[in-house]
Amino acid sequence: MISAVTETEAGPGARPREGSLPVDAGSTAVLVATAAADGGVPAAAQPWESGSLVGRLVDQLSGLGVERIHVLTRPAWKAAIEAAVGGPVEVHTSERAADDLRAIGRLAATADGALVVAYADVITQREALAGLLADARVATAILSTGGTIARPFAFRMRARRGRIVSAASPYHAVHHPTDTFLGVLKVAAADRSEVVAVAERLAGLVDPGPPPDWEQELADKTRELPPGDAAELERRRASAADDVTALLLVGLVRAGAHVSTARLRTMFWARPLSAAALADAATQIEAHDEDKARLDAAVKGSDGFFTTFFVSPYSKYIARWAARRGLTPNQVTSISLVVGVLAAAAFAGGERPGLVAGAILLQLAFTLDCVDGQLARYTRTFSNLGAWLDSIFDRGKEYLVYAGLAIGASRAGDPVWLLAGAMLALQTTRHMIDFTFPAAREEMIGVAPQPPIEASSDRPARAPRAAQPARSPSARRRLASLWLAGDRYPKVVWVKKVIAFPIGERFAAISLTAALFSPRTVFVVLLAWGAFAAVYVSIGRTLRSLTA
Amino acid sequence: MSATTVPTERPSVLELARDDGPIAAAIGAAAGGAWRVPAIAPLLAACLPAVIAIVATGDAAPRGVVVGAIAWAVLVGGLASARPLTDPLRWAVPPTLRAIEYGGLLWIAAVAGSSSLPAAFALLCALAYHHYDVVYGLRHRGVALPSRVRVAGGGWDGRLLVACVLLLAGALPAGFFVMAAAIALLFVGETIVEWRRIGRAQPPVYDDEEDEAE
Repeated sequence: MISAVTETEAGPGARPREGSLPVDAGSTAVLVATAAADGGVPAAAQPWESGSLVGRLVDQLSGLGVERIHVLTRPAWKAAIEAAVGGPVEVHTSERAADDLRAIGRLAATADGALVVAYADVITQREALAGLLADARVATAILSTGGTIARPFAFRMRARRGRIVSAASPYHAVHHPTDTFLGVLKVAAADRSEVVAVAERLAGLVDPGPPPDWEQELADKTRELPPGDAAELERRRASAADDVTALLLVGLVRAGAHVSTARLRTMFWARPLSAAALADAATQIEAHDEDKARLDAAVKGSDGFFTTFFVSPYSKYIARWAARRGLTPNQVTSISLVVGVLAAAAFAGGERPGLVAGAILLQLAFTLDCVDGQLARYTRTFSNLGAWLDSIFDRGKEYLVYAGLAIGASRAGDPVWLLAGAMLALQTTRHMIDFTFPAAREEMIGVAPQPPIEASSDRPARAPRAAQPARSPSARRRLASLWLAGDRYPKVVWVKKVIAFPIGERFAAISLTAALFSPRTVFVVLLAWGAFAAVYVSIGRTLRSLTA
Repeated sequence: MSATTVPTERPSVLELARDDGPIAAAIGAAAGGAWRVPAIAPLLAACLPAVIAIVATGDAAPRGVVVGAIAWAVLVGGLASARPLTDPLRWAVPPTLRAIEYGGLLWIAAVAGSSSLPAAFALLCALAYHHYDVVYGLRHRGVALPSRVRVAGGGWDGRLLVACVLLLAGALPAGFFVMAAAIALLFVGETIVEWRRIGRAQPPVYDDEEDEAE
């Protein structure tokens, strides 16, 4: 099937290597096949190619190393589901959501390794699932999208720094959502006991029927739906009340579990609940090139302007070439260090040809810097030592180049050691801000109290605030919102990134000024731009800290 | 390989990145809870005299002024070591300490004469290795630097005071080269020991994202 094709196509790059861990040994999946398609048949049993939707998902999960797969369905659908899955899959039946939850709790209690809970009627590509299941860095997480693919009736959530801080379910609302839940939840082995507790608690809450304010929330959700295919919306609404996967997610988040997001990116996802939607999906999935999506996903989302527009567009193809040649990320990291040392040595010559050669070598070293990370993400080959070496070598190369430039300047009779030292001090201080500010934010996300699972709304209780007289926003709050106002516009965000002087811009500035001017000019430009960036970034972060 | 990876409570990168030495800790302990201000406040007061002196006299500052300003920075900056990092601006503390230490060392070298500047650059490289490894080591090895190694490194306070002594003794640039070599030996050696101990089998604890400013 699809999964097998992908594996052969990816070639040597897909070989499991050092650090490349499949899903935890002994992982278990529970597929929830309780949604009905038109005609009252189980959506999961709808035909797909030579098999069925759930059959495809079972194949994909097995291909990713999930050892035991269970399907939950209704008694009337047991035969249809059993016919649809084939293979060594256990089919369990229950009458209603509360029993589904209890069944999931029981399976979670007896499983080893990770636990996957997913809609049985989702069509997506193997690479999308692999990003969630086969990435050693991803612990408890969900498949999500920032796009509109699953709307209008899919559950949304709010994520900060890749961690879910609030999630919606049929009975839970989320304010200021950022992402949409795509029906696949992976719970790491360490968090599995939490699922047992949460499932039990939720089962108690929806048995015999959900509390009145939960019912109200579901009614509100349906009312807000935009006009569209009324029949399709009605099917989605009907399946919502049985959506235990989304309920479990809310339960985990509300219990304080660290749930992160694995993005769908440009891959295909659909949850067809009718023959028409199914036919739609079958044509659309053809237009999604899985390998291209995987390669695009290997490019870090948080890169700077120069890296994103002048390096990654071609470095990702070098990464894919390296993957097919069987090169490891650590080998590329090492080559990059050697090229960086050569660049520093060329700069140390002090003459114009040396400066030009150094500038070119530095750009080559930087490209390889991007390649090693992209190769690691493309092949999902992560190792702690590799990541550490990559980080240390990146810093080492930069400061070695400063030293090379300073030696060259001394040889040319214009010593710049003070400027070089000042730039090292400035850059190290700036990096320190880049480490500590996110760490401080992370701490705050971790300690923010979660509302209890019983509460439909994720907003904090209003009581304490009502006691205060209404005030206009403080001056610093207004200043902060002014400062962040531009972030709604992508172009403004790019300008801000350039101002912040990330590594791509720094290396480009070094190469350009060294090749055209002198080491002194290099350091004057680096110091001026770097100091401006430090002040600019610090003001923004101070404002954010004081108004958070 | 174990199927379960129980996440252990990791030490705070903010606390570790302070790199306070025994002297700063002693000053902070002596002052006790007398100063109920955010940690960043004493640090800003600590660097003020040095900043004024650098702007006014640059590398022509008399040695007494340099040593006085640095001693003030250590004394007042040491007070910050007793303040917990819980206020909204706590993230600014480690970077400010880096700026004080690296800036102070460069100033000392500049005052000692331009021949000391390459030695100061070497010293800063060794220190930068240490300070990056505090963060990257925590990310990728998941463990904090052992406290005996941190104490042996002297902390930002200890190193600034040693640099002052070297300046007064006329031991620059050789003194800075020796310091650079000693610090590199200590921290690179420690890293190698740690990696050999840990091996590479455990699952990655952190993505290799570089957290550049947003």
